[in-house]
Amino acid sequence: MGLNYYQIKKNILKARKLVIKGTNTAGSGHPGGSFSMAEILGCLFYKHLKFDPNNPQWEDRDRLVLSKGHAAPGLFSNMAVAGYFPESELETLRKFGSKLQGHPDLKCPGVEFCGGSLGTGLSYSIGIALAGKLDSKNYHVYTIIGDGESDEGQVWEAAMTASKYKVDNLTVFLDRNFIQQDSYTERVMPLDEKLEGDNLSEMWKDASRWKTGDKWRSFGWNVIEVDGHRVEQVDAAIKKANATKGIPTIIISRTIKGKSVEHMEDNPQWHGKAPDSDVVPIINQELDSQFMIAPSIIAGDMTNLENEVKRCVHGRADYIHLDVMDGQFVPNKTFDHTKIKELRSLTVIPFDTHLMINEPVKHIRDYIDAGSDVVTVHAEVTDESSFGEIHDLLKQNQVGVGFAINPDTDFPEWANKFIPSLDQIIVMSVVPGKSGQKYIEATHEKMARLKSLLSEHNFSGYIEADGGVNLENIGSVFADGARAFVGGGAIIGQQDVRVAIKDFRIEVLKSRRKQLLEKANQLGGSELVNKWINLHVIGEKQEQIRKIAQEAGFV
Amino acid sequence: MNDPIMTDMRSEYSKSLIQLGKDNPNVVVLGADTTDSLKTSGFGKEFPNRFFNVGIAEANLVTVSAGLAVSGKTSFASTYAIFLPGRAVDQIRNNIAYPSPSGKKGLNVKLVVSHGGLSVGPDGGSHQQIEDIAIMRVIPNFRVFIPADTIAVSKLTRLMANEYGPFYMRMARSKTPLVHSESQEFNIGKGITVRDGTDCTIAACGITVRMALEAAESLQQDGISCRVLDMYSIKPIDNEILEKAARETGCIVTTEEHNIFGGLGSAVAESVSESYPVPIKRIGAQDMFGESARDNEIPLLLEKHGITSINIAKQVKELRSKKL
Repeated sequence: MGLNYYQIKKNILKARKLVIKGTNTAGSGHPGGSFSMAEILGCLFYKHLKFDPNNPQWEDRDRLVLSKGHAAPGLFSNMAVAGYFPESELETLRKFGSKLQGHPDLKCPGVEFCGGSLGTGLSYSIGIALAGKLDSKNYHVYTIIGDGESDEGQVWEAAMTASKYKVDNLTVFLDRNFIQQDSYTERVMPLDEKLEGDNLSEMWKDASRWKTGDKWRSFGWNVIEVDGHRVEQVDAAIKKANATKGIPTIIISRTIKGKSVEHMEDNPQWHGKAPDSDVVPIINQELDSQFMIAPSIIAGDMTNLENEVKRCVHGRADYIHLDVMDGQFVPNKTFDHTKIKELRSLTVIPFDTHLMINEPVKHIRDYIDAGSDVVTVHAEVTDESSFGEIHDLLKQNQVGVGFAINPDTDFPEWANKFIPSLDQIIVMSVVPGKSGQKYIEATHEKMARLKSLLSEHNFSGYIEADGGVNLENIGSVFADGARAFVGGGAIIGQQDVRVAIKDFRIEVLKSRRKQLLEKANQLGGSELVNKWINLHVIGEKQEQIRKIAQEAGFV
Repeated sequence: MNDPIMTDMRSEYSKSLIQLGKDNPNVVVLGADTTDSLKTSGFGKEFPNRFFNVGIAEANLVTVSAGLAVSGKTSFASTYAIFLPGRAVDQIRNNIAYPSPSGKKGLNVKLVVSHGGLSVGPDGGSHQQIEDIAIMRVIPNFRVFIPADTIAVSKLTRLMANEYGPFYMRMARSKTPLVHSESQEFNIGKGITVRDGTDCTIAACGITVRMALEAAESLQQDGISCRVLDMYSIKPIDNEILEKAARETGCIVTTEEHNIFGGLGSAVAESVSESYPVPIKRIGAQDMFGESARDNEIPLLLEKHGITSINIAKQVKELRSKKL
């Protein structure tokens, strides 16, 4: 298939919603482990896996083996999004007569492995991979195992076997979410080092405690370690794994059980439990409210952009925003595609290229070739025909399509027809041209107008706020509907980029929590508000959310 | 009876596999560090690419076989009985029997073991599998064979290769007496009347078929006419041949190298009680484990459990008095 990161993320979101729908309707199931592997499945289904939903038994298809079979809702929901069966089929999950069994089953065409009894999927995958080699087939086997599952001795029997037979047409993902049914993995059976206290983030912070990779390396495997929720990291790891010959590869993906729904995150209770119907709409809104922080490096040292990129990497930026200015469309000049190409090798973090140049249609190819992951062009310098050309070229090259409007530009009517397939819309909240300007307050109103237009035209991309976004206003910009935030001086201008980004996230999170409480209040008054608050049992979330609810007068 | 011709099941299995390997490029053979003992290593020498030794890892052996099978291979996985049903029943159930591609039942894996039953001898009780038939019989989609001699081994191996789906076949460790002729046919779900008779039936399997024949021979001298059935297909079982035996001979003694619970005796009792109930006596391990016995002492070990031609004859006599 091969979609761009934005489209992949959209599909992952769809799949997550289907997991909620399916497990809720079934009244049981495993959302936690479905969400921890959501980005892994997303990268596979929408970028790497060769398959044909209309011919599930196509003999040259890649094979996906979900060894941690309890995460079946995650598999089924992606199969629905990928077109194997209608999304409504998820409503039959775990029901009598359904092909969507409680665990993956060959009863459902396209499923490769009957999972459920843990620890066996890797051996099975080795068999499939060996058969592929015997038959000189080029298919690849992708297998997802769990960390709790790694307690099973057979996993290690299989690890030795794959190494002995040099099974390099097999790539394994370890969904390292640190939680199994009873408790934290490091409590039940440590894979890394013993966990002291309940703070899983301690395990995350300190790479010296990660021993799982060493285990696999000592079994003769190629080990790649990634943040399993970063699509670009998973994508890059798959490419690396596929290029590695003569040795099997495991991609150890550090993940969060229940990822994307705060009360499920890192909470062992959500290993195998379905959400109640009354909270489902709130959860769906939360899923719709995922956000990204994109530092703009021109706010830093223009003579050493390499270092600015490195600061973004260290700061765990979601995207890196690259403002290309030509000195004509805007008075300033920054850099062009040659610089982007130079920077590209420094990181896999997506490049969010914002072209503030005249006649972008003439240059779009260069920015694709330079390694942009999304390219945004301005309404002021495009028309239906040139934008159509840009749009198609970007999509064909798996690059996201962005469209920007200046503060005094209204969304042009000719662009309405592109809205459903736009990946990003930038609503400039300063006059473009230089960093360090103040946020134009009228943007809030403009966003409100725009939002209704966008929903009317089925927009499913992200709105990016660009210009003067800071800690004071980011919450309200989020409330307006922005989901990506460009930070210039407020991030890159700060001493510690990592702290600045973290502070941005905290502010957005506060705003999001308030919105979700509003939703709860609107749907079920203080009773539902309290229920929602009480679902948040890990760490200090509950206290923080209760405080927001009290301030808003919901409780 | 004449002294029997003794032949080796594992050698016959090995020969059959190599022939299958030549005839069918999709046949693959897997072992778990017992490949010299099982003599499957012969296949490995002929077809190194289609032979996989996964080490002492039986769970892995079963599941890798399943993965190959789901991808179009005909997998033969072999080790000792005690290490397959006795150890990897979860993998056998969930990775071979349960996964059913559209229109099929289970995956195309043949589990062929040696060292079944008590006649394993010196290795002792830890290695004498007397539970495998019960375990394998209860798993849906599996078919279960116990060959009586090398002719049966050869023909059943070929039959399994030609028939889609999961099979379990249990061989003995020691050399076994020939009881069948080269022209004997073997079919899924069929038994063989190896000796006809009218007063009683002995339903036997594996090495006890020869014992049953010896018992029938001695009973003949007492004027008792005994029918002997080789019930090599434990599952599916030949209901027809059993019902006929029940109607025509009025009682059935079963013999096997297996716990009397859940093995051939149970299968026969289940079948006959539904078709034409007659008195049944089950001979086999009397719900107790085996123990070490040197090769020349194996008859003593079997005797301890009543698995001898003399006891079979004795039980036939007793059972006849209970006829309805």
